[in-house]
Amino acid sequence: MTDEINLEVIGGAPETRGADSRAAFLERAVVAGGAIIAGGVLLTGLPKLAASAPSADQDAEILNFALIVETLQSKFYEAGLKSAGLSGELRQFAQVVGGHERKHLAFLKEALGKGVKPVPKLSLGDGVSSAAKFRAAAVALEDIGLAAYNGQATNLTPATLGAAAKIVSVEARHASWARDLAGEVPAPHASDTVLSADETQARLREAGYLG
Amino acid sequence: MSERNTSESIGALELDELDADGALREVSDALGHPTRGQLLKGAGVGGAMLLAGAAGPVAGAVAKGSAKQDREILNYALALEYLQAAFYTEAERLGALRGEFAHQAQVVGAHERAHVKALRQTLGASAIGRPRFDFRGVTEDQPAFRRTAVAFEDLGTAAYKDQAPRIKSRAYLSAAIRIHSVEARHAAWIRRLAGVLPAPDAFDEPLTKSRVLGVVADTKFVVSAPRTSAFGSPRYTG
Repeated sequence: MTDEINLEVIGGAPETRGADSRAAFLERAVVAGGAIIAGGVLLTGLPKLAASAPSADQDAEILNFALIVETLQSKFYEAGLKSAGLSGELRQFAQVVGGHERKHLAFLKEALGKGVKPVPKLSLGDGVSSAAKFRAAAVALEDIGLAAYNGQATNLTPATLGAAAKIVSVEARHASWARDLAGEVPAPHASDTVLSADETQARLREAGYLG
Repeated sequence: MSERNTSESIGALELDELDADGALREVSDALGHPTRGQLLKGAGVGGAMLLAGAAGPVAGAVAKGSAKQDREILNYALALEYLQAAFYTEAERLGALRGEFAHQAQVVGAHERAHVKALRQTLGASAIGRPRFDFRGVTEDQPAFRRTAVAFEDLGTAAYKDQAPRIKSRAYLSAAIRIHSVEARHAAWIRRLAGVLPAPDAFDEPLTKSRVLGVVADTKFVVSAPRTSAFGSPRYTG
């Protein structure tokens, strides 16, 4: 468990850390034999996020990126409730969290208005084929979603950041709940990790969610 | 980890059952019903003491320059982290917690101490000192601990959320946002242990500084202002 954090170090991290950890991630994926697309290659239709100074245009790109994550999560919980054989608190988790993701989706669409871009084709793989697989997939999906939001915080204008932050902590609550249900420490670090847009897409692709 | 769970559902929010002394109700009201008059009194004595030693006035200051404003925000965060760290550290030391509560206090306490350390290092000589706390028994009784921990974590999450958009430095903002989500994880964890929904709403609302300090003041946990700044001169040098 990492208890030592340093604001200067972790704060400065995203710019320098992104490339390094993506390289490390790709290296691991290659070692593991995973068929993976290089982090810099984006599918058509996916937002090309650059970390430049915050602007309304960049906010829209980031919200469209969030839209993909929220759409995936929303579909995941809907399908899980239908076909994963969920019962007890795990079922309650899926119902409550699925309801939240739908509201996040509606919020993002309203915020984007005509700026909504089509979401790329998503697939749920076998994460919804059993309760155990659903639970494990939920942990990964919530941790990735949270890290993706956290990774964009410094790229947003203050107003949009304020709105997004209302979603971010709810994603953190979901991640904590999912981990607790899976028997994992709900809050594994003193400072949460972040993922760049490329890293997020690579993780989602690796898990089979993005085609 | 907890062994109850997958077979039973968490009931609806049972605040009254949980909340014998009203502390949790106050936080809940502050978060859910922002117009409540009782909390509008703002920073009371305890809240003011929590922040004594900070560079600027407790509330309503218009900072000149972004560096100064960032320092005020980080010192405010430090004050809340001091409160949380002291709470968990004392609970752990007194040994009244059992099972998953003891585990939660140990893990979360270590996080809060790490937050304190990081904020103090960043603020250097500008860091406010640690106030004295009297937790009035809530660290030695598991039900009271549970209520207070739920309140503190929901409060901490709401406080960071309110301040984050005001932070000018990218480095500080990134750090704050990553602590913000850890506080939310803590909140969900302790809420689940308390038998209430870990994520009660689709959107978490922020809470302003004066309201947060008002809630803190109402707890009467802060009994004196820090005597020196964090890295102030020692009182005895010989």
